[in-house]
Amino acid sequence: MLEVAGWLLDLYDDPQDEVALWLLAEDGRRLRLRQSLALTFYIAGEERMLRAAQDYLRKLPLPSELFRTRRRDLFLPEPLDVLAVRSRASDQAALFRQVASRYPDLTYYDCDLPLSLHHAARHDTFPLARVRVRCAEDGEIFELQTLDSPWEIDAEPAPLRVLQLEPDCDPSHAPPRALLARFERCSYRLPLDPPRPLLINLRALLVRHDPDLLLTAWGDTWLLPMLLELSEQHGLPLPLNRHEEREVGLREERSYFSYGQIVFRGQQVHLFGRLHIDHRNAMLWDDYGVDGVLEAARVTGLPVQVAARNSPGGGISAMQIRTALQAERTPAGGILVPWHKQQVERGKTALDLLRTDQGGMIYQPIVGLHRDVGELDFISMYPSIMVHCNISPETRLPQGLGPSPEPPGLIPQTLAPLLEKRVAIKRRLAELPAWHPRRKHYKAFASAHKWLLVTCFGYLGYKNARFGRIEAHEAVTGCGREALLRAKEAAEDAGFCVLHMYVDGIWVVRPDAKRPEDFQPLVEEITRRTGLPLALDGIYRWVVFLPSRLDSRVPVPNRYFGVFQDGSLKVRGLETRRRDTPAWIGAVQMEMIEMLARVEDAERLPDQMPALVELLRARLAELRAGRVPLEDLLVAQRLTREPGEYSVPSPAARAAAQLAAVGKHTRPGQRVRFLLLRGQPDVHAWDLPELPNPERLDLSRYRELLMRAASSVTQPLGVDQAILEAWVEGAVPVALLEPAGANPPCMPR
Amino acid sequence: MGRTMPSITQAFIEEQEAFGRFRRALRRSDQLALDDLFASARQHLAAAAYASHALPMETFLLSMLLEQHKQVLHLRAQLEALHKERDA
Repeated sequence: MLEVAGWLLDLYDDPQDEVALWLLAEDGRRLRLRQSLALTFYIAGEERMLRAAQDYLRKLPLPSELFRTRRRDLFLPEPLDVLAVRSRASDQAALFRQVASRYPDLTYYDCDLPLSLHHAARHDTFPLARVRVRCAEDGEIFELQTLDSPWEIDAEPAPLRVLQLEPDCDPSHAPPRALLARFERCSYRLPLDPPRPLLINLRALLVRHDPDLLLTAWGDTWLLPMLLELSEQHGLPLPLNRHEEREVGLREERSYFSYGQIVFRGQQVHLFGRLHIDHRNAMLWDDYGVDGVLEAARVTGLPVQVAARNSPGGGISAMQIRTALQAERTPAGGILVPWHKQQVERGKTALDLLRTDQGGMIYQPIVGLHRDVGELDFISMYPSIMVHCNISPETRLPQGLGPSPEPPGLIPQTLAPLLEKRVAIKRRLAELPAWHPRRKHYKAFASAHKWLLVTCFGYLGYKNARFGRIEAHEAVTGCGREALLRAKEAAEDAGFCVLHMYVDGIWVVRPDAKRPEDFQPLVEEITRRTGLPLALDGIYRWVVFLPSRLDSRVPVPNRYFGVFQDGSLKVRGLETRRRDTPAWIGAVQMEMIEMLARVEDAERLPDQMPALVELLRARLAELRAGRVPLEDLLVAQRLTREPGEYSVPSPAARAAAQLAAVGKHTRPGQRVRFLLLRGQPDVHAWDLPELPNPERLDLSRYRELLMRAASSVTQPLGVDQAILEAWVEGAVPVALLEPAGANPPCMPR
Repeated sequence: MGRTMPSITQAFIEEQEAFGRFRRALRRSDQLALDDLFASARQHLAAAAYASHALPMETFLLSMLLEQHKQVLHLRAQLEALHKERDA
């Protein structure tokens, strides 16, 4: 008998082991252990059919234990009589597939859930949990004890050995010539050709360092599939998996439609006994990196390799499933997790639809420049509402913003610890000085949590979500609108003018309010009136709300920039924030905003105008002289359909057609990067093998795009694109403007 | 006393109340301006009653316009008088 403590790296079902678990032992060993785990799925339906299914299952060669029981379906008022099918973990999928294809009309529950969630519900485990196991010499686990919880803020990080591996250039752009590998402080360069030494060297690296995490670029879409093929061709096995008996897991690419956008997910390569993360194929990588991926896995309970590639929606869904399964251990009993949810919206009157079928409250801001503006934000507004008002598919819908008399439902139960952790981390971040090394981790955690919380709301209204219910979703936005209106009323009662409201934020100004303590009573009053937590996000020295591009009289809700009192910038909806804007244009626009940000007194903003014009002249001269790198001029647009389906091909579609001509296919949802050229063709796809002649760049088009972006910045100072052009060309001398009379806030009566 | 039709004052109050949600979501300064508009329409309730239009709100809207236009005429006359005074 052995007793080992360590971190749980991964677990998965396995035909030999039943459940295979990888442990990073405290003494540095990497152990593969095994555990038996009986899983149960449930079937409901007409008695006669249920009996037939029971007989059918009994005669199958796969062993299973069958019994009748009663369990809760959240969408039904009474517990349900169900047939329970219990089997070895590794047999469940096969049993379910057979009975479901024979009896498709029965209702199935708990049948396709990730093994890690079943394990979590039974043993409180989660990826990289600290555990202590007692097991036999051959690795059979008798007892497993989880020592920490995903809600701890300062859990001891697992000592992961990380091997980074990436090609020397983007393989979709040009054929790479070598792989770059890095382990701790050692770097290696492995030429791709000839392949035999490459395979031998890589094998040696894997054996010597035995990494826990393989961190690649394009590992899913190019690198690992290429290596596997080479290893096959040359008969040189490559120990990418630590679990040698298993084959590397490949999952295919797909395009799908989500939130009004076509999204492309590349092929995936999953390893057994090691983790593989391809940071080019990881969701939201740029937002949160490795720390964020590991945190997302810990709090959702999904395996790291899944959490890295999953959308946050999948994560929140997993958290709900875990809560449902864990209810097994409460007196109320387990909650059934539907396979295909069959629940329809109840009928609504036209007025109901008018009133309820709305999103968040979005105001039209008062366009122009404003000084000493406070921005107050509700903290995680929608999740807070779900918890505060107990909004869940099975609870009664709230009337107004009050707390609910019922015990917390599934959704509030799932969210409450996550919200608490988020608030605690935010508080910790506010206390830590800027240089503190833990800040980076906390920031990554905070952003992982943020995405989970944000999508949780969406999942409540998604008809395919297992615990979604559209009415509950509408109740949340309804409460959100109510909270914002109460905030507006509280602000106006306190003599503030409301400049803008946007879903969960409110911008207010009052001539005598300049310091945080001037806004504090309002913060408290709003919290009192709504019951929801709210914080002063900051006080702007000045902020500019921009009008619509098409009509300068029309305000648009989410185009603004401003400087907080601490000097930090906030920019929304401008070209520099848009992912299709060429990097060069975004950078120049940002330079302009930073120049303005140095001005403390908004009245002195127009003094910067000559310097801004100088800056634009200098940048345009660089463009004409060919000193702007081509990469910085790339426009990146998303394909919205198959290239052949466009009736009038967009520039992106024309670029995709060029790629198709050389055998590189792009799918809807993928971004195509291209340069703008003069004459025909007028675009040049970046991923074509050759570079275009730089003389063919459409400089006047780039100039136009730059001037348009620049005028967004100068327009609030009374300088529109036409004046700016005249100044930049030198046709008209730069005239100093009148000091910017900061906008009169709300019109006095 | 039974009525088959609501009185014009009742109709007016109902129409104004029907805009309660609209009013609530306005900035305070705009709320007050809106109240002014409704108040100005009240001056023509008798005419609105006499018109017995099937959609009384149209009459109320026209009453608001009427009052606005009177204001414009009045202000224009004042402005012209001021100009004359200055140029004289």
